[in-house]
Amino acid sequence: MGTIIQTVGLHKHFGRVRALDGLDLEVRRGEIHGFLGPNGAGKSTTLRILLGLARATAGTARVFGLDPWAQSVQVHRRLAYVPGDVRLWPNLSGGETIDLLCRLREGTSGRASEGAAYRQRKAYLCDAFDFDPGKKGRAYSKGNRQKVALIAALATDAELYLFDEPTSGLDPLMEMVFRRETLAAVERGATVLLSSHILSEVEVLCRRVSIIRGGRIVDGGTLDSLRHLSRTEVSFADDGVDTRTLGGLGTVHDLRADGGRVRFGADSDRIAEVLPVLGALGVQGLIITPPSLEELFLRHYGDTSVADEHDAPGTATGRRRHRLRARGHG
Amino acid sequence: MPPGRRQGGAAIGSAREDTAEVKALRILWGQRLRRDRWQVMVWVLGIGALALFAAAAIQQTFGEQSSRAEILQVAVATPAILMLRGLARGADQGAFTFFQIYSFLALLAGLMSTFLAVRHSRAEEESGSAELISATPAGRLIPAAATFLHGTATNVLVGLAVFAAFAAQGLDPAGSLLAGAATGAVGMAFLGAGLLVAQLMGTARGANGLSAALVVLAYFLRGIGDATGTPNADGTVMTAGAASWFSPIGWGQQTFAYTGDRWSPLLLPLTLAVACGGAAWVILQRRDSGTSVWGALPGRVAARPGLGSATALALRLQAGSIIGWSLGGLATGLLAGSLGGAIAAADTADSNITGSLRAMLQAQGVSLTQLFISALFSIAGVLAATCALQAIIRLRQEEAGGTAEILLAAPVSRTRWLAGYLVLGAASVVLVMVLTAFGAWFSLTVSRDTSVDGWTVWETAAAQLPAALIYLAVPALVFVLRPSATIPMGWALLGAGVVLGIFGGMVGLDQDVRNISPFSHTPVPNGTTTDWTGAWWMLAIAVLAALVALLGMRRREITTA
Repeated sequence: MGTIIQTVGLHKHFGRVRALDGLDLEVRRGEIHGFLGPNGAGKSTTLRILLGLARATAGTARVFGLDPWAQSVQVHRRLAYVPGDVRLWPNLSGGETIDLLCRLREGTSGRASEGAAYRQRKAYLCDAFDFDPGKKGRAYSKGNRQKVALIAALATDAELYLFDEPTSGLDPLMEMVFRRETLAAVERGATVLLSSHILSEVEVLCRRVSIIRGGRIVDGGTLDSLRHLSRTEVSFADDGVDTRTLGGLGTVHDLRADGGRVRFGADSDRIAEVLPVLGALGVQGLIITPPSLEELFLRHYGDTSVADEHDAPGTATGRRRHRLRARGHG
Repeated sequence: MPPGRRQGGAAIGSAREDTAEVKALRILWGQRLRRDRWQVMVWVLGIGALALFAAAAIQQTFGEQSSRAEILQVAVATPAILMLRGLARGADQGAFTFFQIYSFLALLAGLMSTFLAVRHSRAEEESGSAELISATPAGRLIPAAATFLHGTATNVLVGLAVFAAFAAQGLDPAGSLLAGAATGAVGMAFLGAGLLVAQLMGTARGANGLSAALVVLAYFLRGIGDATGTPNADGTVMTAGAASWFSPIGWGQQTFAYTGDRWSPLLLPLTLAVACGGAAWVILQRRDSGTSVWGALPGRVAARPGLGSATALALRLQAGSIIGWSLGGLATGLLAGSLGGAIAAADTADSNITGSLRAMLQAQGVSLTQLFISALFSIAGVLAATCALQAIIRLRQEEAGGTAEILLAAPVSRTRWLAGYLVLGAASVVLVMVLTAFGAWFSLTVSRDTSVDGWTVWETAAAQLPAALIYLAVPALVFVLRPSATIPMGWALLGAGVVLGIFGGMVGLDQDVRNISPFSHTPVPNGTTTDWTGAWWMLAIAVLAALVALLGMRRREITTA
């Protein structure tokens, strides 16, 4: 397992604002690495440095072991990038933009983009993303602009995909297609750095995550190991069971009854201790909810003014999507 | 409910609606004023200053009635001068000033108005901000009314500025007022035209291009009308040719300010303004927000094989503007070459004056045709410089607009990206001048004019290249060192260069001040003794600036700020 991306003590200052403040990030070969943080935490700044579009004030960044600022062309040959807010040339069609970007990435020697395999893959992706490549750039909606960059990135094999909130503006159906194609790219041996604030997406795709706050990584590791640090939520119907035995267990916290249910939190790594007690009590309507990424996230951002907005349950899947905003992070 | 009360209620209801609309109109007008406060001020003061300086220079140089009459006789005998100036209406100082400068003032008022119209209509729709406004009770129509109101007010200011400038130079107040009104009225005509074009074209770029082309067309139509006009017996008053009647600027000239003081011709541009505005209103009522009469053509599903590098993309993005400026160069060249024949034809009108003028020029080894070729080629040089500047402006727009980011995330180095635009800009400068020279050579050959040989035409074209290249390399340097200043600084440099170098003589500026402009250092080929020093210096500066820009680009971040 080699390291694809490594930053050490990365700083980026804009005047007096410290966008990055000693960021250490490591992305290993073959993984989908979740890069989590609210708006303004420094996610995009990090990606711009990894792309060599911006230069670090201090610290080092290495992509494939190369310096992305000084050796940007060599680095770019091996990666594909999808920005969170794709801007297109107004008078180029989507199909032309996809071809242009793929040809640029292939260099003049490869010319695989001229081949039948490329055309086939482009056609497949246009179909999968339900995308019309024949419209001019100015005519596309936000979601369709995003699809242009996604198709251009996925239509050729890259060793590394840098995704900066890639699904913003996509509908849930298209998010599913994105997940499927990203997993397929990893199957082919690619590495993915997925910057996102859509936690459900990260939860499904990523095994390892880094949580960024105020320009530095505040937590990281596998989702499983992070979950162990957090509490599992347990609830059952409040039909007069005696909960005193539960209260005596060291792993049970914050035991209370509300809305006709008894609820408590249990340490995730000691959840097994609770089960025999619950069995003995004969509880009904038992629900055990493992900690969501949202809760992990809130733990790190909870002390700043965090607002979590729930999308209306009327969206196509009725699924809740959690977005977080933290103020005061430049 | 009694019917009387119901009627009263309805009346109150509609009165409320009216006030809501008036309120929205007032708010939107205020917003336009606020957005445009600097632009409007620069245009109004600029047009006023041009009028002021031109009137002052005329007073200084041609203070005597006799000297004005003399120069007018030369002008009337020389269609090329009439083409660039106006309609001679006698040697009175006011009339002479109106002859000298009015067509420029009207041209500027026209351009100001079309840009204003498009900025607040199609550009807003394209960027999507019109949708925000349309979703409020203001709807789709009130913003257009606010734009018309704003444009009208701005043109009133332009008219007042011209009036004040002329009156301040001691010209007859009544005539000055008419001259100002004639300038504002032309602006109004093109305000209407701009609003109508904005309904037709799907993009702000297209709408700006087409409506500005209409203004330039109006300028040239009245030029042809003036050049083909009929002079009267004393050779200082003339009647315009038919072409002038197809141009709002020509209508403005028909006021005969200071000598005839006719107000009635101004009904023509004002009618055009109302007609175009009304047509725009009708279209706006019927079409969906964001659509246009001439819809966008569908794009290609796949790119052509050639579109595979950053430079190929630059060419694709700039093709329209390069073709436009090149056609401008070709037209200028054709015009320059055809003037020889016109001068020869005019020779009979007053052989005494043209004869002495010709003798004077021949003593310096320059023919009259060659002098005009030099003068018109310097205009083509400005076109080439604008084309070059637009390459760098596009570069900055790519960066600020975010499209550069996905391009530079591909294996394209920053230096290479800049180098592509520099090569493209240099090539387009050469193209514009080659077409200019070709146009002049072609029309000289067709009209069998041998007063200028072909070689001199090409030499004159080549002489324009260094100054134009300055407007490629220096803005490129600004782009590297101060990205956010690229666009305003680029236009400011070009504007200053044109005002000082091309119009500097007309408004009587000191030679030292005029020498600040690159265009003042463009060599004027005169056969054997052409001084090329200025050209070499400018070429050296351009190359140096380009090299520094390329080196600096290696160390520069990509920034949208």
